[in-house]
Amino acid sequence: MSRGPHPPIIRFDHASFGFPGVTALEDITLSIEAGEFVGVIGPNGSGKTTLCRAVLGLLAPIKGQLHIFDCACQELRCHHRAKIGYLPQKGVVDRDFPVTVFETVMMGRYGALGLFHRPSPKDRRIAMESLALVAMERYKDTALGHLSGGQQQRVFIARALAQQPKVLLLDEPTTGLDLPMQHNVIELIQHLHETLGLTVLLITHDINMIRSRVDRLVLLKTRLYAAGPPADVLKPNILEQVYGKGLVISDKDLVIVEDYHHSH
Amino acid sequence: MLELFAYDFMQRSLLAAAMVGGLCSLIGVFVVLRGLAFVGAGTSHAAFAGVTLGYLVGWPPLLLAVAFGVATVWITGWLEEQGRMKLDVSIGILYTATMALAIVFISLMKTYNAEVYGYLFGSVLSVAGEELVLIAGLAALVLGLLLAFWKELLFIAFDQEMAEASGIPARSIFFLLLTLVALTVVVALKTVGAILVFAMILIPASTAYQLTHSLTALTLYSVIIGTATALTGVVVSTVWDIPSGPSIVLLATAVFFFSLVISPKRLRIRSGHPR
Repeated sequence: MSRGPHPPIIRFDHASFGFPGVTALEDITLSIEAGEFVGVIGPNGSGKTTLCRAVLGLLAPIKGQLHIFDCACQELRCHHRAKIGYLPQKGVVDRDFPVTVFETVMMGRYGALGLFHRPSPKDRRIAMESLALVAMERYKDTALGHLSGGQQQRVFIARALAQQPKVLLLDEPTTGLDLPMQHNVIELIQHLHETLGLTVLLITHDINMIRSRVDRLVLLKTRLYAAGPPADVLKPNILEQVYGKGLVISDKDLVIVEDYHHSH
Repeated sequence: MLELFAYDFMQRSLLAAAMVGGLCSLIGVFVVLRGLAFVGAGTSHAAFAGVTLGYLVGWPPLLLAVAFGVATVWITGWLEEQGRMKLDVSIGILYTATMALAIVFISLMKTYNAEVYGYLFGSVLSVAGEELVLIAGLAALVLGLLLAFWKELLFIAFDQEMAEASGIPARSIFFLLLTLVALTVVVALKTVGAILVFAMILIPASTAYQLTHSLTALTLYSVIIGTATALTGVVVSTVWDIPSGPSIVLLATAVFFFSLVISPKRLRIRSGHPR
């Protein structure tokens, strides 16, 4: 199942996920190794967020198995999940919540702290280091709601880093940002991947933004359609099977999913 | 006017108002941030049904108020968690159902019971010494649990799913919060009554929310506003001879509208800064 010499960090073994009467993801077999940068793509309703929730431990497989750090994680809140830093979709979080940047990043420490424990100076230091990694330390006392969308995403990435994760799981981190900010956030993620050696699982609609940056792409449409280097996955016949006729591949190999914005 | 404060009943009333005002405004911070505003209203009516049943069958009314209040919030929370219906829908159903139950229980009573109506409209001026001890005990319990689980409550108010994903037992903490809301409602029932207790939970925190982007400041402002309006309301009600519950709530409402006018958040929007 493993692609290389390292044991996989995340391993889906014929795993299916869903709810009573509805299968959102079917028969997924996939391994993600330490240090990989993997992009997860697919149309709306393809199961990208389900995959994300499964890795986070918010959804147990209804069939097959999901191993995180070689643990079957039968307990949904298995301690192995604490090694996964998560950036949720923009808009899920109340951006006017009365909290400062530093308080937001400190939340990343709460899981590791456990009940009845107050943050120690070490936790505060880790939170500050995480802010420094995303170049946001000078905003530590600023209200989260006063920051731009891109700056808020940086803060949420810092919170994920404060967990001291092995894996960074990002659910559409560039949605709702303007183009320069989208590049800015993706470059930051790539920088963290390279400098910290983090395994990155990036869920996105923006194929062009990540195609040159990821090691592998995983293409979903309620099941695993393709997984491999971008050049192997982004083939017209595969993409048309998944996206249908709304897909255009330009002269420069750019993938344009027509009506993408309308579908949001 | 100062001689008023020499009376035992006035001292008891002010002490009860301070405890209830402070506690309601503290739990109100999480009620507002987690979007549980309607839960407070539903719980207070459910707790009132418990009180009426208590008087009907001769059991301790506050004990049954706790049972009814906690059962209501748990059923509501469970239904939301199961994804069967939204929180406001389930609480709306239970809110009216328990109020209907309360009316049935009152109609089954053979005689008019003024104490029951005291729980409906509040009567802080008639709080007895043993009731004060009960209020203090429950308030200490709620305050202790709030402080013990502060960071977890903050995280689930911010984003429950992310808290769960980060290893926080978010589901249990959410049910703890619902339970604390129910207990707080029972604590405040005698003071401001089932109809107005919801306002004591909601208004101080909503007022503070207009004034700051800092959680620490919001909590502090909320408790100061809640305690100050409760104390002032009791004094005003005694001096002007009007009911204490409405006095407290109307004062808090006036402060809320004033906060809207001076809110730095709104001033920023008006001056062209979206945030």
